Amino acid sequence: MRLRVTKRQEPLGWGACLVFFGALAFSLAVSAALLALQGKPAFIGIRLLFEGAFGSRWALEDCLLKAVPIFLCALGVAVAFRLQIWNLGAEGQFALGAIGASWAALTFPALPGSYLLPLMFLAAALAGGLWGLVPAVLKLGLRVNEIIVTLMLNYIGILILEYKVYGAWKDPGSFGFPMTREFPAAAIVGNIGATRLNWGLLVCLGCGAAIALFLDRTRLGYELKASGENIRAARYARLPYGRLVLLVMALSGALAGWAGCLEASGSLHRLQPTIMAGYGYTAIVVAWLARLNPLNIGIAALLLAGLRVGVENLQLDLQVPAAFGQIMEGLILLTVLAGNFFKDYRLRWREPDDA
Amino acid sequence: MPAGAPPMIRLEGISKSFGTVQANRDISLDIRGGRVKALLGENGAGKSTLMSILAGRYQPDRGLIRVDGREVRFAGAKDAIRAGIGMVYQHFMLVAAMSVAENVFLGQSQGFWRTPRTLEARVQALAERFGLEIDPAARVSELSMGEKQRVEILKLLQRESRVLIFDEPTAVLTPRETNQLFTALRQMTRQNKAIVFISHKLNEVMAVADEIAILRKGRIVDELAAETVSSRAELATRMVGREVLLEISRTEVAHRQVVLRVAGLSGRNLKNVDFTLRQGEILGIVGVAGNGQKPLVETLCGLSRPEQGTVRILGQSWKDFFARDVWAGALSYIPEDRQGLATCGNLDLVDNFLLTTRNGFTRGPWLQKDRAERKIAALALDFGIQPPDVKALARQLSGGNLQKMVLAREFFRRPRLIIAEQPTQGLDIAAIEDVWQLLLRAREKAGVLLVTGDLSEALALSDRIAVMFDGRIMDIFAPSDGPRLAQIGLLMAGIQPAATTEPASVPPA
Repeated sequence: MRLRVTKRQEPLGWGACLVFFGALAFSLAVSAALLALQGKPAFIGIRLLFEGAFGSRWALEDCLLKAVPIFLCALGVAVAFRLQIWNLGAEGQFALGAIGASWAALTFPALPGSYLLPLMFLAAALAGGLWGLVPAVLKLGLRVNEIIVTLMLNYIGILILEYKVYGAWKDPGSFGFPMTREFPAAAIVGNIGATRLNWGLLVCLGCGAAIALFLDRTRLGYELKASGENIRAARYARLPYGRLVLLVMALSGALAGWAGCLEASGSLHRLQPTIMAGYGYTAIVVAWLARLNPLNIGIAALLLAGLRVGVENLQLDLQVPAAFGQIMEGLILLTVLAGNFFKDYRLRWREPDDA
Repeated sequence: MPAGAPPMIRLEGISKSFGTVQANRDISLDIRGGRVKALLGENGAGKSTLMSILAGRYQPDRGLIRVDGREVRFAGAKDAIRAGIGMVYQHFMLVAAMSVAENVFLGQSQGFWRTPRTLEARVQALAERFGLEIDPAARVSELSMGEKQRVEILKLLQRESRVLIFDEPTAVLTPRETNQLFTALRQMTRQNKAIVFISHKLNEVMAVADEIAILRKGRIVDELAAETVSSRAELATRMVGREVLLEISRTEVAHRQVVLRVAGLSGRNLKNVDFTLRQGEILGIVGVAGNGQKPLVETLCGLSRPEQGTVRILGQSWKDFFARDVWAGALSYIPEDRQGLATCGNLDLVDNFLLTTRNGFTRGPWLQKDRAERKIAALALDFGIQPPDVKALARQLSGGNLQKMVLAREFFRRPRLIIAEQPTQGLDIAAIEDVWQLLLRAREKAGVLLVTGDLSEALALSDRIAVMFDGRIMDIFAPSDGPRLAQIGLLMAGIQPAATTEPASVPPA
């Protein structure tokens, strides 16, 4: 008996869901095995992970708070990925967005909230969007690979952020800690009712709906999809490929910029280096897990935010190193991507040839 | 070789189909040691499929392979290599960062612990034995295409392959490298290797082959010894064939205004191409593939700019015409590569329909998908696209149905100029007839430039036929012009018959 691999003619439909959750379960099993290898109780560990992530109102709020920047960054990344433009620079675009928003908050502290907040969002989108345009222009003009440029611009963006908070923007009253002054009240996105969640959540929902509509219903969204599928057909059909590259990178950067703006304004109320928590990298994982679909991105963002929160719990209770969360994140991505094999191919047992 | 011994390789009744398309039908072929067997045929005639079966890449649906008279079955390329059969593919499979010698011994474990020097010496000896000039210590990334090909050949020789199959080996070579290859082939046959040489270049086949097998539409239509072939013209005629497969009735349509005028077009292998095309007519461009058809079509469709000469499309210069993005009432291009160029395999029919018609379904920023969906659903019924499910992905459609979908889309744009490239290649008979009918109907509204390697198709459809050779148009005439038609083989081989020396193009009326 030999295994035989054949390509599927029909798309898998609901079975694809099964593959996804199967891969997820597999990655959890491997994680449990890793825990056991360290001499930790594996099943308790996994239970602690879930409880820490979704087991209480506090945990859920934490989850949602972390999901907001991940979601916005992943949305932007997914738009670029649709065109097969490999934007790995959400982290840097996030940093620039935070810088742009902080600039507005620190420069015009006397403005009322109804002016200051929109100004901050505008500044964040501009800074993030222009940061995203740099690799696009380099790609189109000089044929420089966007993967490398976006990745390297991340480090530059983070360094600019540190330069500002260690230098000109440092709060004189911070006892030497690298952070800006607290933003004026008008520059802070308010909380929803009595929860710890802020109205940034609503921005997420709005952006998600707008991007979904954009991708599915507009002509530009269609042109993105078609160009990403087959660049030769795009040339044949005279699709404006260069303009599309500029558009997706600017949009991608602007969305990551908004994530940075919300994080500075809604969660930290100031700019400080700890704002760079790696959301921009997690966003790449989320975009892939979600197969670039906006609704799925929401689910996957929540899932990976839950992982971050849950691992904190695991760190405290089982003394597992912090890197365990990153290991799990990597495991989930790899197993789900490997699982996609079963969506495109089927396996059959074959009788051996008698020849 | 003793008389009566079985041939090195014997193929018996090989058939292979992909979906509804029969790539090979009942092919029997002998391959003998010490001989060069040329497989001659147009693109899509089934040459590569047949040789991929022999090299173990595909399994035949029917028929069997004998090596030295013994029946064998290959489950993969490894089995074929073990049986002494190797193939030099068009795309080389070499590790660019390694040396020539390392590439030659790649994947052979017994050579693992040898020093580079001994490997190089062995490759050097092997290369000299077969007259292949190469530096065994050179890195593959620094080699020319011809040298890379020699590395591929050395890989096979090192594995003691007795049958070497070359798939269009000269496509990437300079003329000097081609000559060196031919010398090496001779050297190999002298040491009793069997060579199979796949090509559609007539002069090369004449130069190198001992035996010639001609494939057309998946069958061997002729097998002859090279010394019995008197001229390239004879080969050309046998290769493209002229038997009428389908009778198709056509009504005359009045020729009206000029939709395409090409004058003195040169560059990119084109040499001074002149012709005009009018609304209401089909101009068939025939010739052996690779004689300038591709650059001509790419220039006319706006994919590359004309280097010299003028192209006027619908009364506008090339630059003006392609500067404006007019989706309807203009130019429709039906490319040969329907999967790679004309459609996106992973998108459904609605999205593929919108590819070139999106300007007609736009309101403000929005795309009117519902309206497009209704339109393509209606067109799918009209054009008989199976299945008529507009949510099916393009890659799920068979070649014929995909082609009908492309035609439905392109005709929906009400083109006044249609450029159709090999529109029926790889289709089954029923689909061919449908496509022919559609093209005949389309010429009532448009001028059609039909680029085809299938002479019977050109004869069935065209009002005029232009023969291309080496980037030039050899002659343009009506298919009813019997005397000139009789010389079409000569024209395709680049020989200007003495009787027809008048200007090649028909003057515009």
